[in-house]
Amino acid sequence: MKALDYPSLIRAFEGVIASVLEQKDHLSRLDSVGGDGDHGTTMARAMGKVADALAAHGEEKIAVLLQEIGWAILGVDGGAIGPLLGMMFLSMAESAEGLEVLEGEQLAAVFEAGLSGLLAQTKARKGDKTLVDALVPAVEALAAAARAEEDLEAIFSAAAEAATAGAEFTKTLQARFGRARHIGEESIGSADPGASSIAFIFNGFKKGISDHA
Amino acid sequence: MAMKKLINDPDNLVQELLEGFALAHGEQVCLTDDRLVVRAREKEQNKVALVTLGGAGHEPALSGFVGEGMLDISVPGEIFAAPGPPKVLQALKTAQREAGILFIVLNHAGDVLSAKVAGDMAAKEGIRFEQVLTHEDISSAPRTDPDNRRGLVGCLPVIKVAGAAAEAGRSLEECAAIARRMEAGMATLAVAVSGATHPSTGEVIAEIEEGTMVVGMGQHGEAGGGTQPLKTADETAEIMLEALLDDIDAKAGDELFVLLNGAGATTLMELYLVLRRVNALLKERGITLARSLAGEYLTVQEMGGFQMCVGKLDEELKALWDAPCDAPAWTRS
Repeated sequence: MKALDYPSLIRAFEGVIASVLEQKDHLSRLDSVGGDGDHGTTMARAMGKVADALAAHGEEKIAVLLQEIGWAILGVDGGAIGPLLGMMFLSMAESAEGLEVLEGEQLAAVFEAGLSGLLAQTKARKGDKTLVDALVPAVEALAAAARAEEDLEAIFSAAAEAATAGAEFTKTLQARFGRARHIGEESIGSADPGASSIAFIFNGFKKGISDHA
Repeated sequence: MAMKKLINDPDNLVQELLEGFALAHGEQVCLTDDRLVVRAREKEQNKVALVTLGGAGHEPALSGFVGEGMLDISVPGEIFAAPGPPKVLQALKTAQREAGILFIVLNHAGDVLSAKVAGDMAAKEGIRFEQVLTHEDISSAPRTDPDNRRGLVGCLPVIKVAGAAAEAGRSLEECAAIARRMEAGMATLAVAVSGATHPSTGEVIAEIEEGTMVVGMGQHGEAGGGTQPLKTADETAEIMLEALLDDIDAKAGDELFVLLNGAGATTLMELYLVLRRVNALLKERGITLARSLAGEYLTVQEMGGFQMCVGKLDEELKALWDAPCDAPAWTRS
C-alpha cells in the first residue's frame, strides 16, 4: 500500500496512542532527570485527547482529523509539549487541506509542513537535546522514502528507525534548552523525554499501519 | 516512597483546588466555567487589564494575585505545567478591551510557548495586548543572556506595580514600561534545603541530601545550582544577597525592595531571620531597604527553602507599590 487514506490514518493514530501509553512511566522517569517528572503523565493526557478526537469521527477527511487532533493536543495543559505537537498537527492539517489520500510527494510535504510548524514555535534546533533531535531525522527519513515511492510500511519503518536513533543520540548530548538545560552536564547519559516521545509516536505510526497492512 | 498528601483523584486535583480557592476568597475572585480565575468585581473597561498564565501547585501563586490593583485574570494550567493555548486565548478574549491587555509571562518553556501560540491567534483577531516577560533568576543564566533566565517570584512585584498603574488609568504603553522597568532592576535567587513530591505522580521532584542545601533551584525543583553544606540563616542571607546585589549592580544610596518567598516547608521564623540579616547587610553598604515582604507567595508543595528577590525602586515605583490592592495573597489598604 502506497497511499495513506482516512481509515489508515485513524489506525496509525491508534498505534500512536498504544505506543505512548505503554511508555508512560518510562517517559516520566526520563523527565525526572532534568525536569519535574511529569512528561509521561502529560503525554498520557495528550493521548486521551487524541483518542477523543478519533472517537468523535466528524467529517471523514484527513485534514479535518489532523486539525481536531492538533486542537485537542493544544488544549492539554502540559507545558511545552502541548503547543509543540499541537502546532505540528495543525500545520500538517493545513498542508493536507482537500486531500483524500496522502502519498509520495504529498505525504512528504505534509510531514515537512508539520516539522516547520513545530520549528516555528521554538528556538531549539538539532543538537540541543530536545524532541527536535528525533523529529528532524524522522521527517527527513519519511520524506525521502515517500518521495522514493516506497510503500507505507517501509516509509513509516524508516521514520520510526530514524526517530529511535535520534532519541538514542540525545543520550550523548548536553541539554541546552528548556528546563533540563539547568542541569548542564548531568543531563548527559540520559535520553531526552521529548525526543523519546517522538520515537514512540513514530513507532506507533509504524505499528498502527503495519498491523493492518 | 509513599506520598503524605490529602488529595483525591489526581486527575481532578487542579479543578478541586481552584474550586476551594474560589470559595476561600469569594469576595475577591471567582472561577469561571472555562477554568479561568477572574476578579469578583470586574475592572472598568476603560482601564488596562492584566492577564497571566502558569502551572498550578504553587499556591497561592498565581491566582492568589487576582484582585483589585493586581491581575484581572490568571489562567491556571495543570500541576507545574502551563495551560494550553486555547485556554490562554480564551483569557485574552475575555479580557479584550480598547485600553488593551498587559500580558505577563514568566520565562519557562511551556508558558512562553503557550503564550506565543495564543498571542499569535489573539493578534490575528485584533486583540490589543502587550507582552512582558519576567526572567530574573540569576542562577539560570547571566544577565547578558536573558532568554535563558527563568521567571521566578519576581513576577509578583511586577504585577503589583503594573496592576496599580492600570488601576490608576495609565495607558497600555505606560503600564508596560513600568512593568519592564521593575523587571529590569530586579534579580532572584533560590535556595532549597529539602525536596518535594509531585502531587499527581508522587514522584520526588528534587532530592536534596541531608545536611546540604542547593543554591539556584528553580521553582519545580529543577537542579542547577551549587550543592553545599547547610549554612546558618545569616550565612545563607549573605551568600544570596551578595550575588543578587552584584547582578543588579546595587550601589550605596539605592533604595531596594526585598521579597522573601518561602517554598513551602521553610517557616516564617526562618524567613524573618534571613530578612533581619539582609537589612543589616544592606545598611553596611549604604543601601536602603525601602520595602520588604516575607511569606509564602509562590510555593513548590512541601519543598524547604526560599527565593530571595531584590529590586530597585524609584519614587514612582514606591508609590505604585504602596497603592491599595485587594487580592487573596496581597492586600494593602
